[in-house]
Amino acid sequence: MNAKLTDDAVAGLPLSLGRAELLEEIMSTPVLDDRPIRSREPRRRTRWLVPAAAAVVVAALALGTARWAGDDPAPAADRSAPVMSMPAVANGYVVLDAPGWTMVARHADEGRGEMSYENGDQYLELMWGLPEDYDGYVEDRRHIVRPAADGAPIQILGLGAQMWAYSPDDHTAIREVDAGQWIEFRGEGMDEAGYLALLGQLRAVDEAEFDAMLPEEFVTGAERNDTVDTILDEIDAASDGPLLPEGVDRASITSDQVDDYQLGSEISGQVACAWLGEYAAAEEAGDQGRMDAAAAALNSSHDWPVLHRMDDRGYFPEVLWMYAQQVADAGTLPEDYQNGLGC
Amino acid sequence: MSESREETFRRLYADHFDAVLGFALRRTDRPEDAADVTADTFLVAWRRLAHVPGGVETRPWLYGVARRVLANHRRGDHRRSALGDRLRKELAAAVPDCSDEVVQRADVTVAMHRLSARDQEVLELHLWEGLEPREIAEVLGLTTVVVRPRLSRARARLRELLGNDPEPPGHLPSRHPQLTRKEQP
Repeated sequence: MNAKLTDDAVAGLPLSLGRAELLEEIMSTPVLDDRPIRSREPRRRTRWLVPAAAAVVVAALALGTARWAGDDPAPAADRSAPVMSMPAVANGYVVLDAPGWTMVARHADEGRGEMSYENGDQYLELMWGLPEDYDGYVEDRRHIVRPAADGAPIQILGLGAQMWAYSPDDHTAIREVDAGQWIEFRGEGMDEAGYLALLGQLRAVDEAEFDAMLPEEFVTGAERNDTVDTILDEIDAASDGPLLPEGVDRASITSDQVDDYQLGSEISGQVACAWLGEYAAAEEAGDQGRMDAAAAALNSSHDWPVLHRMDDRGYFPEVLWMYAQQVADAGTLPEDYQNGLGC
Repeated sequence: MSESREETFRRLYADHFDAVLGFALRRTDRPEDAADVTADTFLVAWRRLAHVPGGVETRPWLYGVARRVLANHRRGDHRRSALGDRLRKELAAAVPDCSDEVVQRADVTVAMHRLSARDQEVLELHLWEGLEPREIAEVLGLTTVVVRPRLSRARARLRELLGNDPEPPGHLPSRHPQLTRKEQP
């Protein structure tokens, strides 16, 4: 086994000739096709590469809780609208009916989403997206193998799919577009036979059954209103002032997420957005009193219980706290906070 | 005037060669294999230069490519790279003589081998390359939400095996200033 050298030790190795020669060799090879194609990463991870994005926004985007730069923000009414009945498979309503497996994370937003199942050291991630992204993802996956090639044809949930192997115990398959969405299934910690067997245990369900099969720590439709109320009550209790600025209705603060982390980030994010918007409006009106009240409300976020519960799972709380701190300390609105928080 | 393709690649190569070679050396048995992985990784970067993200995202992207190249090698799809012959020879001569400045103690290496492959990989990216969860997520194509608890659990398992915490990341894997994300505006 090679010694596990540090990068500094590597830099000190006498490799100058080999290093320079390799560079020239590579640059003398023809570039056959360098047309930009879509990244193999989900869109949110692609978007966080946008150079203009601040690092803090990047952190929030990585969580999938923010809207994308350049996307039209969905009107608030969309968030409170009841989930429409959609074709089961296309909406990510897929359950893994296999002993030992449990859902550990889920995020869905505007036709895209991802969901993870775990069983000890085994892992299955489902990612779904819109038809316009399908060709780009498939093309990228073709490069998992060399030379690039179509994946092995398999069937998943009754529809054709292509499967590739990253390694003997790491496989991925993309199911064809069905009812407006494609789904990718990435399985780690099992061989091909195990992966295929696991895919065979997936079951498409309707929204009601999906809801009923959520693990205990997830938020079902029946629990949603109480959960949102509790989060808002806790935020209210942590703040000396009102929960929301004048003109913002508490009933407008909603979320359809079932993962408590994602739901917590949407709810706390909407409250913070309301106060950041209030701060901006007050600043424009030259109303120092309103600006102080908004800054104080944002500063109370350090005591919002929901953020402390979320803190060990991701960076959303840190991003929100940083925005609050900037308003409190510097008296300036964070640049591009709407994208960072999904306002 | 914008940078030419050649200039862009030369800069990328200069900035990240040591890191990519280090990544490969730490995960292969023989120096020649590390040279092949490095050559193939930069060949992909050259051919797909338009897709290589800039700034702090470049290195995780390169690690992600190197990881895929390594996976191809490990599953037997190993062909000797047509490139980098001199690098292979220089590495084969230089690496066995170099036992200083390793990224972790031998007992940590032994303990890590007792972890699952997935836990090992996340820990290696954290301890060897000094990556944060969101960067690990980028390399592995997972979400930060998934990586963070996984890393936490892997660290806990390693701690149980060792009876103490492994060396903290950062000072051992060496310099990678590009990866020091600014958390403050």
